[in-house]
Amino acid sequence: MKKRTRIALFITLLATPFSLVAAQDGISFDRYHSPEEVVAYLEGISQVHSGFTRLHRLSSSPGGREVAMLELGPEITAEDRSVPAVFVAANMEGTIPISTEAALQLIQEIIAKPEIRQDKTWYVLPSGNPDAAAAFFSQPLRVDSRNGRPHNDDLDDQTDEDGFEDLNDDGIISSMRVRDPEGEWIPIEGQDRLMKRADSFKGEKGIYKLYAEGIDNDEDGEYNEDPPGGVNIGINFPHLFKAHTATGGPWAGSEDESYNLIRFIMEHREIGLVFTLGDTNSCLVPPKGGRRGEADLDKIRIPERIGERFGVDTSRTYSMDEIIELMQPYVPAGMQLTESMVASFLGLGAVVNPLPDDLNFYKELSEQYKEYLKEKGLDKKRLESADARDGSFELWAYYHLGVPSFSLDFWTLPEPESGKKEEPEITPEKLEQMTNEEFIALGEEKIDTFLKSVKAPGGFTAKQVIGALEGGMMTTKRMAEMLKNRPKPPDEEGADPREKALLAFSDSTLDGTGFLPWTPFQHPTLGEVEIGGARPFAETTPPPAMLNSLLEGQVPWIFEIAGKMARIKIGKTQAESLGAGLYRIRAWIENTGYLPYPTAMGTRNERIMPVVVSISGEGMEVIEGKQRSLINSIKGNGTTQVKWIIRVNDPTNVEIKARTETSWSDQAVVELGGAQ
Amino acid sequence: MKRVLLSAIFAVLLSLSPLAQATAPEITVPLRFDYYYTYDMVIEALNALHQAYPEMTRVEVIGQSEEGRDLYAFTLNNPKTGAELEKPGVWIDANIHGNELQATEVALYLLDYLLGKYGKNDEVTQLIDKNCFYVIPIVNVDGRFHFFSDANTSSSNRGLRRPKDDDRDGLYDEDFPDDLDGDGNICQMRKKDPFGEYKTDPADPRLMVRIKPGEQGEWTLLGREGLDNDGDGRVNEDAEGYVDPNRNWGYDWMPEYVQSGAGDYPFSGTGIKAIAQFARKRPNLTLAWTLHNSGGMFLRGPSQKGQGEFPREDIAVYDYLGQQAERITPGYRYMISWKDLYSTYGDSLEWMVNCNGAFGFVAELFQSSSETFKSREEEERSGAGDSDGDMDFGESNDMARERIQFNDHLVQGELYKPWAPYNHPTYGEIEIGGWVKFSSRLPAPFMLRDLVHRNAMAIIFSAKQTPEVELEVIEVKELSENLFRVRTRLHNSKALPTMSRLSQNRKLYPKDFLKATGSGVQVVAGGLLNDAFRDNVTYKEHRPELQFTVVPGFGKVEHQFLVSGTGELNIEYTSRWAGTRTQTVKLE
Repeated sequence: MKKRTRIALFITLLATPFSLVAAQDGISFDRYHSPEEVVAYLEGISQVHSGFTRLHRLSSSPGGREVAMLELGPEITAEDRSVPAVFVAANMEGTIPISTEAALQLIQEIIAKPEIRQDKTWYVLPSGNPDAAAAFFSQPLRVDSRNGRPHNDDLDDQTDEDGFEDLNDDGIISSMRVRDPEGEWIPIEGQDRLMKRADSFKGEKGIYKLYAEGIDNDEDGEYNEDPPGGVNIGINFPHLFKAHTATGGPWAGSEDESYNLIRFIMEHREIGLVFTLGDTNSCLVPPKGGRRGEADLDKIRIPERIGERFGVDTSRTYSMDEIIELMQPYVPAGMQLTESMVASFLGLGAVVNPLPDDLNFYKELSEQYKEYLKEKGLDKKRLESADARDGSFELWAYYHLGVPSFSLDFWTLPEPESGKKEEPEITPEKLEQMTNEEFIALGEEKIDTFLKSVKAPGGFTAKQVIGALEGGMMTTKRMAEMLKNRPKPPDEEGADPREKALLAFSDSTLDGTGFLPWTPFQHPTLGEVEIGGARPFAETTPPPAMLNSLLEGQVPWIFEIAGKMARIKIGKTQAESLGAGLYRIRAWIENTGYLPYPTAMGTRNERIMPVVVSISGEGMEVIEGKQRSLINSIKGNGTTQVKWIIRVNDPTNVEIKARTETSWSDQAVVELGGAQ
Repeated sequence: MKRVLLSAIFAVLLSLSPLAQATAPEITVPLRFDYYYTYDMVIEALNALHQAYPEMTRVEVIGQSEEGRDLYAFTLNNPKTGAELEKPGVWIDANIHGNELQATEVALYLLDYLLGKYGKNDEVTQLIDKNCFYVIPIVNVDGRFHFFSDANTSSSNRGLRRPKDDDRDGLYDEDFPDDLDGDGNICQMRKKDPFGEYKTDPADPRLMVRIKPGEQGEWTLLGREGLDNDGDGRVNEDAEGYVDPNRNWGYDWMPEYVQSGAGDYPFSGTGIKAIAQFARKRPNLTLAWTLHNSGGMFLRGPSQKGQGEFPREDIAVYDYLGQQAERITPGYRYMISWKDLYSTYGDSLEWMVNCNGAFGFVAELFQSSSETFKSREEEERSGAGDSDGDMDFGESNDMARERIQFNDHLVQGELYKPWAPYNHPTYGEIEIGGWVKFSSRLPAPFMLRDLVHRNAMAIIFSAKQTPEVELEVIEVKELSENLFRVRTRLHNSKALPTMSRLSQNRKLYPKDFLKATGSGVQVVAGGLLNDAFRDNVTYKEHRPELQFTVVPGFGKVEHQFLVSGTGELNIEYTSRWAGTRTQTVKLE
């Protein structure tokens, strides 16, 4: 602990002069930047470019590190914001150093391009979990997503007392393998640096037990089971937060790092687009659906005890509108039932899958992103990005803020050349495009081959699958979804595909340093052990030499999407005299952006307010329509008409305003002749 | 603007209004319970209690509300019998919904009663000596303040003063109800209308009943007293908030579109967050009571079906306490929150139980059915089920008729405002009248004392059941030279275990520790003694001198240590809830 603080202090001292220089000349990406350097850099920027940047100190971590965010834009001092904002959060789990560099690259580009900060605000948080992020810059090297909150992992009489030790003094916490009668692991034949679980059905017997490098400090028979550290900020957000997990924290927002960020964003209602930079990528792969538990609002079941009270048939399902109609007579006069009230009364729960209308733009934009990467020459096959986690910042942004939420990663290991394998005739991707009938028409033989190729769970035959499709228990879409959501099966030899890819990359590019050879070591309690295995961060963090091209190629996609935000404008206006000072006024309210206003989720969760279209003028009286008309949603490139009948006595100008918080505002004037 | 003006008028009217409370009493100990204290008076009462019993009490400000009001915590602990954290913590919070006034009165009564009888009544003396009490007398301080100072219905002003655009028109809190007749109450508005759904109740001209098919209507109900302040065609649709302070806690929190009133994120309420921080610093929280009105219920969790039922051992404890509470407060029912009432997400009780590990109850104080007015003959008839069962707003016509008689003859008309004409800018000639804000959910002052006493006694019964553990060395036997067998017993004489099964299952925090150490001696084996007759022991492989254990309610747990050497063996039991116990034995 003490050592860490000292190192942090040392880096801060080093970083301060550097940051001012960097702020003026731009940061160079020939190495990675520690959380302390990031804060110093942001401080420097906010001094050098004080006209359009502002530093927000959001919180301090339990490890004593600052969570700092930079605002860039035209309204840094304004109380009320008139232009929308894009929020970019990076490295929320603290284990993906390149995402912090991407955020710094983004800041540089925003500084360099006045045009992209003229009509919108940018909030950039380069290091959302600084305690965890500091691990990459500390010795010994170890990946850990937890912040510095003390946590008694093993529920004994001490806290944080059994951490890792760098036994062989190489500056790295790697793995220990120990011959043990109860061992479960064996080296893989032909690739003996890699290990796999012995498969008793294949007649294999385990040889080794695997441990992380360290000793049993508290002598309880467990190794390294209570290291320092508490909560992974990256999964401490309220959407699908899981309580009572090892690193998730006691509740969503239990840590200052997450709570103050949630509060800032909720209080800044101008935020209309969110990016999360880390190890997931919804720009490339649209968010996954298929999770059970979502209440289908067209087929709601009414619990019996409630049905009885209201005299409702509980054997059938109802749409939300039907239920509102059924229950409206039972609420006190003057009270209007809403979806939200009914959902809460019936206990329908949260939305857990991206809504279909929103998936449309995610899918379309992912196609565009693939094209974009091809043009940049960054489309080489690489390992899949991680899946968005429950309780993550990016899911929270979509489900709770109701704004488009995109994630980007910048590097995964290159997919090793397999050489021999041909693409099978049917893949899950192709399956998704097929109808049930088309799939069944392939015939049993082809389907059996397909099931084998995707390693379908034992015993699934083509006959059964066809039966399930015909019986309506299964669809090709759902099947494809299930297959895609499965963890990658190990390869023929039983190697974990990530480890295999790392080994290949280590040998080809890292001079073998990504994978430490197993070397004997005399362990105080375990006796003869070997220390080695994957180097921490090697599978997520490319060498600094690769940074420039990766960042310059991929970061600007953020601007592409930001350019597609919903933008509300007043198109045509029209006044039609009805005589006697009466006018019918029409205004066409347009969303000139590509993205919808708001997302389908924003409509469902009602957090994004309607477009408020107001009309005003001297001596004006509204005869028909509302002085403040509300438009709940306008799809991308869509138009909605608002009309009023008004009366004016004298010639006057009527002003029409269309106001939103997240998608700009507009106004127009209509000249009227009065009663004459 | 309008509201400020109206509350000013109300302040003036207060002394004249027949609906106002009697003249404010001077606040001295013992406190009075025939009167509802305002926010300021509650603070005064806390300070008065502290001044009367300074050694055992502490009053502290633990945070501020949205409007900057101080939030108070009152701690009752006898330092002579141990430090606060060394004893089971009994938590009571009240008035989380701003309109639920009597909850605070129950909390104050409990304190007043306990402190007043300390040293005079053995039961009370033992109870205080054993526990530490943490009381948050008013959770929603802004709500309580505004309930008194502003015009309200009996159920308005529940929420936090966090601006929210309920009607989503871009304006915040711009269409409150309006006290049109300036009497300090938000009553009902009705209009003569032959097509209305109501007619005058033939049994009492002040009441209305729904018309039956074919009958001529007489009245249309126009809702709560008010204006369309924002001119959007709707009346009173955007009042304060609404963030429900009891849907804003961190456990099983769901956003607004799932749980109305949730607020933007868990602990967005500034006062709610401050209270949670105060609670988190007290790992000894054993039992939590959160006091509400109304309905006459003692609720336990889960508050949402998806959470699954509590563990069996915990349910047995809840049943024991809940059923006794039913006996102490006739008419109240002990129930399961989601199953017998409705589902909620993010309430304070669940956070207490699931994040902090306490046993917890919600008390819904007061039943309007206790406002009775029946002859013996009517009583018997109603028991036979011969009533006008036409339910409206959860109340049958018979109940309304009886309550208005209660109002007439037991509180001389102070709970009901007769209908009076009013010229409304939108509706024209209307009438305003109905139940006033101090009605319906609050007992009339003369019934308050009975309510606060019975409910305080229900809390006291449960507080007596916090764990009380004795540590005994039940055997020391020399097995061979320099090898001793030491057997210990931990015995809990109360109903609550030393840790809930739910907390154990969820690994919320470590179990209790039983540690055997000494000089010149070494514990070579130690474990749980399953069967003393057969010497059946489950030995712990590593660190045998340290055992992790939980002592069940009304039960025991025994351990065995094999100790080599001679000298003194110290045995220490430490528990978050049950404090520390030590024994020393000589091995020679």
